[in-house]
Amino acid sequence: MGIKGLTKLLADYAPKAMKEQKFESYFGRKIAIDASMSIYQFLIVVGRTGTEMLTNEAGEVTSHLQGMFSRTIRLLDAGIKPVYVFDGQPPDLKKQELAKRYIRRDDATKDLATAVEEGNKEEIEKFSKRTVKVTKQHNEDCKRLLRLMGVPVIEAPCEAEAQCAALCKSDKVYAVASEDMDSLTFGAPKFLRHLMDPSSKKIPVMEFEVGKVLLELGFTMDQFIDLCILCGCDYCDSIKGIGGQTALKLIRQHGSIENVLENLSKDRYHIPENWPYQEARQLFKDPLVNLETPELKWTAPDEEGLVAFLVNENGFNHDRVVKATEKIKAAKDKGSQGRMESFFKPMINTSEPLKRKDAAAKATKVPQTKKSKTGAKKK
Amino acid sequence: MLELRLVQGSLLKKVIEAIKDLVTDANFDCSATGLSLQAMDSSHVALVALLLRSEGFEHYRCDRNISMGMNLNNMSKMLKCAGNDDIITIKGDDGGDTITFMFESPNQDKISDFEMKLMDIDSEHLGIPEAEYHAIVKMPSSEFSRICKDLSSIGDTVVISVTKEGVKFTTRGDIGTANIVCRQNKTIDKPDEATIIEMNEPVSLTFALRYLNSFTKATSLSESVTISLSSDLPVVIEYKIADMGYIRFYLAPKIEDDEEDIKS
Repeated sequence: MGIKGLTKLLADYAPKAMKEQKFESYFGRKIAIDASMSIYQFLIVVGRTGTEMLTNEAGEVTSHLQGMFSRTIRLLDAGIKPVYVFDGQPPDLKKQELAKRYIRRDDATKDLATAVEEGNKEEIEKFSKRTVKVTKQHNEDCKRLLRLMGVPVIEAPCEAEAQCAALCKSDKVYAVASEDMDSLTFGAPKFLRHLMDPSSKKIPVMEFEVGKVLLELGFTMDQFIDLCILCGCDYCDSIKGIGGQTALKLIRQHGSIENVLENLSKDRYHIPENWPYQEARQLFKDPLVNLETPELKWTAPDEEGLVAFLVNENGFNHDRVVKATEKIKAAKDKGSQGRMESFFKPMINTSEPLKRKDAAAKATKVPQTKKSKTGAKKK
Repeated sequence: MLELRLVQGSLLKKVIEAIKDLVTDANFDCSATGLSLQAMDSSHVALVALLLRSEGFEHYRCDRNISMGMNLNNMSKMLKCAGNDDIITIKGDDGGDTITFMFESPNQDKISDFEMKLMDIDSEHLGIPEAEYHAIVKMPSSEFSRICKDLSSIGDTVVISVTKEGVKFTTRGDIGTANIVCRQNKTIDKPDEATIIEMNEPVSLTFALRYLNSFTKATSLSESVTISLSSDLPVVIEYKIADMGYIRFYLAPKIEDDEEDIKS
């Protein structure tokens, strides 16, 4: 899933591109969320003990609804305006990857059966998580739930991450939230991780800016895409023996995959035959997205509809659903509160910290003081 | 090297008490002009700007522009240990990762040193341009505080409107509505108790009372408060700090949603 090892690579080589932010600071912001990824996580995590999962009376799994309902309310409660984007048809290139996942799931199912026979609890949990698959029904359930909650839903023509990135590029949303680093490769200007994590985990939101990533690495967007392909993406194999570090070095040295291939020792590295890196690059650069999305609107929740769907059909607690609906209504009122940044623009602070962070911080301070001088003059 | 000696130490105590509920961590910026702070609440709806000019300190030494990240709750804990009549001195060394608060009792028989750890705070500094406001209301700070408190027991938001007649505070809640009008009143002997309204254009804006109530924690710093309103800007609530500077609170107004939302 996503780009292999990119988070670590960026933490090492572009630390300024990532910033920890408080969940609350996204108040009033419109955020596009990769729904399929979230549903997958809910199915793995929410209400699971061993192979047992949350179900309704008919025995159908409801973990995804539970997760989607409570996490979305948490976002709304914090004044965030979420837009959920669902996957469309997977691109042809991804079919290979999907087939691999299918085999892995198949293996896991077999392993699970053995584990159940042996009664090994740890193994049961491990393998049953691996057998999770997001079905069409899960997606449809969540779409229905979100519409009842008054939250906009967008169906991507192809990859949801690509559609999210396009929404962000065209300023329809402030940022993209996903756990998949692909979003950066698709060029989402602002990308958030851990936004959907439960509050109990207390993980701060990690904000990535693609502009800063490029600046820090000294890359163009094309070079960054090539780097991601070399690291290993969903659309084609990577070259055996080349990981993040080597990939970064190679692109820095040669500038593009074409030049890398020319200079790469054929004895040391085995380049896959008919390697479709160009197609993968094309997919990242110019993905199939819908630019004519309707205006995003957050409407009042349909209380009766929610009760009918969640309580009557899926066995949720009535009081909880009613209470949660009240929360959604209250949150709508919060949405009309303006933010400071809509009135005042950020500027460079002219002071240096008294506390010295470390030697590296010291070195970068030189240009900062220069800025402070010019800043002072302007005053 | 930094050394700031403030004879009226209680002022610093009051300032921190006024902002610590709104902002948890903030950078204090120290320059030749004075000690200043700018910070936003966690949801970036309100902003506080503080200035204590260097002239207001008995002794003020700051060699270069520096910023010090502090947790206001921790700072409050330390400053609470200072007596109300104590002289407070803030001291810091270059490159140090702590700051020292020294409290001296008025007759110099007790001296306490409190050393606090600094922190790295990565915060955005916003540029706030000087603006012409449509209306500026000056009124007794205790009156403003009372109005905010009273209205918040009825509703969550207040509409502040300024007209020729005066300034009107309106709220609406489940139990009913409330309306308070303050008229211009310059006749009183004490200028601090006067209500003065300067209006270029009538203006009406909606604000969350929760934030206004938090701002009124600064009431003890000044007898009067100035409220500046413009239809396209955040409101500014300013408390002057005698001979030293000010504490200003900015609050973004509530925006009217599209028709659909009003229906619902």
